[in-house]
Amino acid sequence: MPVFLKMSIGITFIRPFARVLVPFTLNKKRRVLYSTILNRYMSSKIPAESYPKKENTSPEQLELDGWKITMKSSVQQGVSTVSSAKDEDPVAATRELIEMWRLLGREVPEHISEEELKTIMECDSKSSKKKYLKYLYLREKMKKAKQIKKEMKAAAREKAIQDQLLETTNQDKQQDFLFLRLWDRNMDIAMGWKGAQAMQFGQPLVFDMAYDDYMKPKELQYTVSQLLESEGWNRRDVDPFHIHFCNLKPDSPFRRELIKRYGEKWNKLLLTATEKSHVDLFPKDSIIYLTADSPNVMSTFKHDKIYIVGSFVDKNMQPGASLAKAKRLNLATECFPLDKYLQWDTGTKNLTIDQVTRILLCLKNTGSWEEALKFVPKRKHTGYLEVSQHPQELVNRIKKTINSFPKGSLNKYTRKK
Amino acid sequence: MTFCFTGIRSFPKLWRNNPYLGVVGPGHSYNFFFLKDCYGIRNQQKLFSLKTVSPQNTKAINLIAKARYRRKDEGSNKDSSEFPHLFAAGAAKKRSQMNPQSHDHALPPERNSIQLPTQPLNSEQWDKLKEDFKGRANFEDWIIARMITYNSSIDVAKSLLAWVAAKNNGIVSYNLLVKYLCLCVFHKQTSEVFDVYEILKARYKSLESSASTLLIRGLIHSDRWREALVLLEDIKKVITPSKKNYGDCIQGALLHQDVNTAWNLFQELLDHDLIPMMETLKAFFDFGKDIEDDQYSKKLLDILLYLRNNQLYPGESFAHSIKTWFESVPGEQWKGQFTTIQKNGQCLGCGKTIESIHLSPEEYEFLKRKILSDVIDGGDQYKKTTPQELKRFQNFVERCPPFDVVIDGLNVAKMFPKARESQVLLNVVSQLAKQNLRVLVLGRKHMTVQRARWRKDEMEKVQKQASCFFADNISEDDPFLLYATLHSGNHCKFITKDLLRDHKACLPDAKTQRLFFKWQQGHQLAIINRFPGSKITFQHIPSYDTVVQTTGDSWHIPYDEDLVERYSYEVPTKWLCLHRKT
Repeated sequence: MPVFLKMSIGITFIRPFARVLVPFTLNKKRRVLYSTILNRYMSSKIPAESYPKKENTSPEQLELDGWKITMKSSVQQGVSTVSSAKDEDPVAATRELIEMWRLLGREVPEHISEEELKTIMECDSKSSKKKYLKYLYLREKMKKAKQIKKEMKAAAREKAIQDQLLETTNQDKQQDFLFLRLWDRNMDIAMGWKGAQAMQFGQPLVFDMAYDDYMKPKELQYTVSQLLESEGWNRRDVDPFHIHFCNLKPDSPFRRELIKRYGEKWNKLLLTATEKSHVDLFPKDSIIYLTADSPNVMSTFKHDKIYIVGSFVDKNMQPGASLAKAKRLNLATECFPLDKYLQWDTGTKNLTIDQVTRILLCLKNTGSWEEALKFVPKRKHTGYLEVSQHPQELVNRIKKTINSFPKGSLNKYTRKK
Repeated sequence: MTFCFTGIRSFPKLWRNNPYLGVVGPGHSYNFFFLKDCYGIRNQQKLFSLKTVSPQNTKAINLIAKARYRRKDEGSNKDSSEFPHLFAAGAAKKRSQMNPQSHDHALPPERNSIQLPTQPLNSEQWDKLKEDFKGRANFEDWIIARMITYNSSIDVAKSLLAWVAAKNNGIVSYNLLVKYLCLCVFHKQTSEVFDVYEILKARYKSLESSASTLLIRGLIHSDRWREALVLLEDIKKVITPSKKNYGDCIQGALLHQDVNTAWNLFQELLDHDLIPMMETLKAFFDFGKDIEDDQYSKKLLDILLYLRNNQLYPGESFAHSIKTWFESVPGEQWKGQFTTIQKNGQCLGCGKTIESIHLSPEEYEFLKRKILSDVIDGGDQYKKTTPQELKRFQNFVERCPPFDVVIDGLNVAKMFPKARESQVLLNVVSQLAKQNLRVLVLGRKHMTVQRARWRKDEMEKVQKQASCFFADNISEDDPFLLYATLHSGNHCKFITKDLLRDHKACLPDAKTQRLFFKWQQGHQLAIINRFPGSKITFQHIPSYDTVVQTTGDSWHIPYDEDLVERYSYEVPTKWLCLHRKT
């Protein structure tokens, strides 16, 4: 406490100067302000003479140790308050550690809430702590960027409105319109109608929700995001699927998360959510389980089959989980013919749920693989392969004829080429 | 050549005594360095892990390593040099070098071509340098990072800090201070470390882990080494200290003759499930030379047993320390020598037989159970197979008498890309059958279907000469291979070139994985033919286990050579043999 008093005296002493010198730092944290001003004060007091002096006497050499004196002396008063309250709880220690990491330029958030701090303390390894901190850091950065963008937009809007006001005063005309501007609502209603029709006559598309044991909370959140997206794409389509959420247990984290995300809309969604399994709802022989591990390649989209998509984001390397599920229930499996149509480059063949939904919707409407596989991310492949013009048989026949050439003639042929 | 080798031994020692030798300015050429004592370079890096390797250095090391390979190959017999054992140290590296696709990566061009100053600059010069700098990063951060990379002298860094302080009213940011501290620690400037420590203490109420690590490392050599222990306690409040932190503190305690503290810290380190650094263990042995204390030597032997239990291998210099310590024990007259082990498991130095590679009956049963429960079943039988298939397989294995050899049919058949699969398989099976071995071929069902590369008649011949089990096309066959081999008993071997790392990874803990690896070394036959027609030859199976071991009056300790890169699934080939004179 006494030091604080001293500090405040110091501040009042140089406040007029500070106003002039640092008009911008005033908005920052108070402590930072204190220390900067204090340092200014101290530095002007102790080594102020030494710097210019040394530089004058020996122009090619900077005084090497001068800075240390300032650094040490300037704060010996400033921090003694803090050191008294040194042995505190680990929570505060963690907070300080994070703050120091931030000073070092590590990827840690500037502000951190008590709850997040608790999560950090609960992380059992150093690397998981760092990972979580990086996540918070990126989130904070994104939030800030969004905030700035929002402010800029608001300013622009303000300006636009003012400009418009000027304009409207200039020309105040009557105009004739056919429709009121209610497009969004009309679209929603139309999609509702289509959805209701799909509920009655649409082809079922099943999302198998039996994977909640395989996933960590984060993966589960990703999955739910992807499901929301898929449902959105389906709703907007000309001829939507009748979506089923099968194996959705009443108390599962899946259901909780879905309800949290959909809010009140959950009960008005035009889809079937059930805790029954897909094998109970549909005949077994018309079910096709889609999984990238399947040995069978999907050749065409069949309108009388029920396709099942596992709602499963697998970041934890559990290959063959969905294939095992299909094997257990003795279901037919298929995978998309990605290798046949695309020159695959990097990334897994597992696509996100919304991509799968869009591919299926496109196949249902057009039946063209080229068209449907547009939804495979471009980064994963380098382009389309030329297939289907030459069926495999033809290729084989050509091969045979080439083999049947006498050796010399083939050489001639190649040489000519 | 002998001169050359003795040269290698002596250089690292020279190096340790004189760490300042390594400071070469960025402008200097490394050629001189390379010619004169190139063997020291590698060591220097080990000592100072903070330093990143400059490109010239790595290249030089590669050259040396390659040269050493060649020399060794010429010396030893041709056969083994052409095919180093699957699990011998350096084999994976060699395989990758044989691969024509691998090539040296071109280094990215240097974007910022600012010359690092070699002398302290004054403020005008720094100002000018800053103007020249065109990069997105903060100039001060960037330049001090470069200084650390090239180990500039601390006077240069100090002048930078002074310049920053002058510009900034005497304030130097935490970031710069820590980086400066890093340089001070590297150059072992203890007084500077003290100064920075005082500044940090005065300015910040707590430190974060990297500054503490540096301070610990800087303080342990001085009289104020006990403050390093305080810093360690501070780290412990929030995170687990790293093994380096512990290692440094232990070395500090040993330097100042405080043995009890050192052992307590070591125990704490083990309690945290950290694997101690070899340097730490080496420090204990180095220190042990000077004291005659039964308690202490017992603890050193415990360290050796720790190495044994965790299948760790000392490095070359550590091996030297162990040897020196044993030879210094008064009254026991130990004699140590560096040797290799013969194929039949006899030590070339003393002629004693090394421990067998075979598992004990209990271990064997344990491993068998674990393979069945974790690798094949794995919580969901449908993942790798189906319950029906598993039943079918188990019935099949029960009915058959024990096999001598189990073959991974698909792996063997696809050995030569140009030969027909079924023919290669038939070739291998008939050669084994001629030796009156009971053979089991594991495969998948698609192998029995007539196709261009799988001829039915040849497959029928295979089935005549061997028992076959065909799994479903979507099942995995490797787990069956493992189980069938384990089920047949200790004499049974299996043939595959697969290193089986994915199956090893399915096992729950490191101990079981080590058991698996030991069993694998003793039972895996890898075919080393290069051409399809020739008579098949197998990689020989070592009869001994590569692990630290003792018989009371002798110790055998495998160690890693400094210039050989060993992959995690390989074992060292060099040994330290210690025995008592009688």
